[in-house]
Amino acid sequence: MEEEIIVRKEVQDWLELVGSADLLVGIPSFNNAGTIGHVVRAVQAGLAKYFPDCKAVLVNSDGGSTDGTRDVVENSAIDDFQQILVAQRVPSFFKTATLYSGIPGKGSAFRTIFEIAEALQVKACAVVDSDLRSITPEWIELLIKPVYEGGFDYVAPLYQRHKFDGTITNSIIYPLTRALYGRSVRQPIGGDFGFSGRLAGHYLSQDVWESDVARFGIDIWMTTTALAGNFRVCQSFLGAKIHDAKDPGADLSAMLYQVVSAAFDMMERYYDTWSKIEGATKVPIFGFEYAVGLEPVSVNLERMMERFSLGVQELLDIWRIFLPPETIDFLCRAARRKGDDFRFPDEEWVTIIYHFALAQHDRLLAKEHLLKSLTPLYIGKVASFVMEMRDSTSTEVEERLAGLCREFEKQKPLLLEKWR
Amino acid sequence: MEFLQRLFIDPFNRFLDNLLLFLPNFLTALVILLVGLLLGALLKMAVVRLFRAVGIDGLCERTGMSQMLCKSGIREPLSLLLAKLAGGITVAVFAVIAVQTISVPAVERLLERFFLYLPNVFVALIILFVGYLLSNFLSRAALIASVNAGVRLSGLVGRFVRYVILIMSFTMALEHLGIGSETVIIAFTIVFSGVVLAFALAFGLGGRDVARDYLERKLKGAEREEEEDKLTHL
Repeated sequence: MEEEIIVRKEVQDWLELVGSADLLVGIPSFNNAGTIGHVVRAVQAGLAKYFPDCKAVLVNSDGGSTDGTRDVVENSAIDDFQQILVAQRVPSFFKTATLYSGIPGKGSAFRTIFEIAEALQVKACAVVDSDLRSITPEWIELLIKPVYEGGFDYVAPLYQRHKFDGTITNSIIYPLTRALYGRSVRQPIGGDFGFSGRLAGHYLSQDVWESDVARFGIDIWMTTTALAGNFRVCQSFLGAKIHDAKDPGADLSAMLYQVVSAAFDMMERYYDTWSKIEGATKVPIFGFEYAVGLEPVSVNLERMMERFSLGVQELLDIWRIFLPPETIDFLCRAARRKGDDFRFPDEEWVTIIYHFALAQHDRLLAKEHLLKSLTPLYIGKVASFVMEMRDSTSTEVEERLAGLCREFEKQKPLLLEKWR
Repeated sequence: MEFLQRLFIDPFNRFLDNLLLFLPNFLTALVILLVGLLLGALLKMAVVRLFRAVGIDGLCERTGMSQMLCKSGIREPLSLLLAKLAGGITVAVFAVIAVQTISVPAVERLLERFFLYLPNVFVALIILFVGYLLSNFLSRAALIASVNAGVRLSGLVGRFVRYVILIMSFTMALEHLGIGSETVIIAFTIVFSGVVLAFALAFGLGGRDVARDYLERKLKGAEREEEEDKLTHL
């Protein structure tokens, strides 16, 4: 069992000083000195503006940054409260920057935040990414208020994103979560969430902190746990999500592996729940939806097609172990197509995802080999999606994604049939 | 008459005496062997039932071991394989006892040498088996990693990893059996060094530009010429 962060002396002292709190906002970080100051100020302004009567804490859970991230957190504060239309400084605001323990990753950072939330017996919490450039004080209201005043347990974010942004979310996680758990949560792995103290305690009680949940898998785990645990879930429209670009190709397969692996692990854990669910229902949305100008996203389609073809050429023998022969034939045909002729139909894609889930369930291959071999197929699907939707509007893209969701729902009985 | 006695009858009598001495031992050996065969068959049946009751075949399916055995040409379930092994060992033990009962010095010496050597064979087989499993696992990992990194010669990378591990395990097995141990190690060293040198030359001469670009990117952080995707996947 990993050492709990709250037993550390300095954290204990800080907790004793604070005693208890109404609200908590957590910010996981690792070398985000350039952006975290803005996030801290936005959070402080949001708490001051929308929750002036509440005792609030800000917790920065850091992974050992070497660029002075924690110093920036300690030194960042709103200087002029009148500028944000707040008459006076809010007295009950506490702030700490602490190192988390455990496997390096966002999940371990969240665990520390949950532990502090439980120790302070907070009523509502929110977590926001430390690399956000578009966060405003309103985000804090939108993430916390549905919990604090509306009786909800979990608030998922809803962003205005570029039509080619969030491709793992759009092509796998959103439609899969919707088909399995019957709730239409558009950004299940958005990264910024609100949740109740009760749910934080529930998260903390789960024994997952040595798994992929401790890394990238935390977001899907939090959403799925809330959905499968029958907690009250809603969404809040936060506007555009603009954040520091990570190197997109550098660790795509590791990212895909961790997220998909966490989603598939959830399928094992909550089989009794998702096996009984049919169709999907809407989830309440808070916030005022508006359109925003988004930066164009450049995509190197030629290279993506090359990666897909290379995958088909080299990994077909691995896929043959668990994919149906018709799907293998399709992949061989698709790899021969060039340019705009290339298409990856939803039907084939859903068959592939469900068979990967079944292969993990039946342990046909080492998990890491299995899920990392999905990368070229995922790249192929994204390339096809980009080609199809090149000239489409955001609304048309959403309609297209709704079609993909329906295909996931349509093939769900086949998944259930083969799930032993 | 005396001549016939010396030439035929005496040797025949000695043969009869020896035969009379040998036959009871031989019959005892046969009985022991038959008992061994019977016990081996019974043990095989019992072990099959025991392992099936424990559910070892299901466990093998779930852990991917069945598939691994299948890929190496073994299509029988693990419970049957273990039962056959238990039965085989029983028969072998009884066979050894039977042969010792016959008391033929030449056979005893051969048997003794064989049994002294047998542990080496077992260890060598284990080395080969582990090497085979490791080569499968690591070559697949290398193949997937290089495909995901966009390496065009991914297949070659996978095969290279597989053969290096197989050759290494084969070398270790031969060394353990004491078969030309020094020759094998020298041959392996020469071949392996040759391969590495060939790669170094190929990369150095054929891929000078690639190497320069790569090092520049890594060391100087030079901008990538290729158009970079700006997709946010999560």
